Amino acid sequence: MGALNMKTQMLRLALFAGLALAVLAPLSAGPADAAKATAKRVKVTGEVIDTWCYVTEIMYALGTAHHQCAVWCAVGGIPVSVLGKDGKVYVVLKIEDEESAVATPRILKVQSHEVTVDGDLYVRDGVNYLIVTQVADDKGVVNMTHEEYGIQPFGK
Amino acid sequence: MKRTSIFAGIALAGLVGFAATANAAEEWGLDGEKIARFDAKVVDIACELSGDCPANCGGGKRHLGLLMADGKLILPVKNQDIFAGVINDLLPFCGKTVTADGLMISSKHMPLFAMQFKRPEGGKWARADWFGKEWSKANGGQKPGQWFKADKRILSAIKKDGVYGIPGLKPPKDE
Repeated sequence: MGALNMKTQMLRLALFAGLALAVLAPLSAGPADAAKATAKRVKVTGEVIDTWCYVTEIMYALGTAHHQCAVWCAVGGIPVSVLGKDGKVYVVLKIEDEESAVATPRILKVQSHEVTVDGDLYVRDGVNYLIVTQVADDKGVVNMTHEEYGIQPFGK
Repeated sequence: MKRTSIFAGIALAGLVGFAATANAAEEWGLDGEKIARFDAKVVDIACELSGDCPANCGGGKRHLGLLMADGKLILPVKNQDIFAGVINDLLPFCGKTVTADGLMISSKHMPLFAMQFKRPEGGKWARADWFGKEWSKANGGQKPGQWFKADKRILSAIKKDGVYGIPGLKPPKDE
């Protein structure tokens, strides 16, 4: 009788533990899973920019005038973004199958270029994060701003 | 004019360092800046968003974020080194909680954070200038003050594409 009670209690405990796990597991998966569901496929056309200089407006930060500084900042590990034609800033986290979007030769190569990219967009706490799945077009540097703004920030 | 002054101030700070007394952020004179100190976990942003999670927050190949206890994800883009970000400052603390001190910047474009100091849980305050330290180590002990003028990757890129990013297009001699 005692052994039967113990077996019953253990079964109840196991059942309770199983139920608890089933209920709690989705909660403990965390924000990654919650955010994952919000990814949206997008196509963005715009200029590749240095996020810091453009967002803070610390200097003029577009086109040929800012190209050299954009390369400096990209090598320094500051996130690179695409300034969409819609005026929004899209922070690039990855490009196609490359492991890194930090100071890679490819990242340096496209600074100030006008590109069209396909990707997964995650909007989180006011920031547009973009995982680029395909660079569909790259027109090179087309925003000729140096005649008006010179070379930012120090000149030659 | 204002932009030039602000930039000169930050550049100077980056080159000569802030006052030694500071383990607290200083204003940089940017629009929308607000001094902020908060605790947050260091995360790989792409992992946090998409579930694609390499070991050790990507080992320096991923952009890192600061995840607050309430779930708010902060994007830190700048440290105290001139033209440099925070990856070197935060990577050693991947998955751990740090206290970050710096400037929260609310711009019309997006919010971001400029980190000036950090302290791991139970550890000591340190300046957020580890990009420069690592760059110096990787470049034979050269001083990192004007690292961007000596970096081989930059010199190579500019030599190839020019300062404007267009091969063959050169600035006038007086610029």
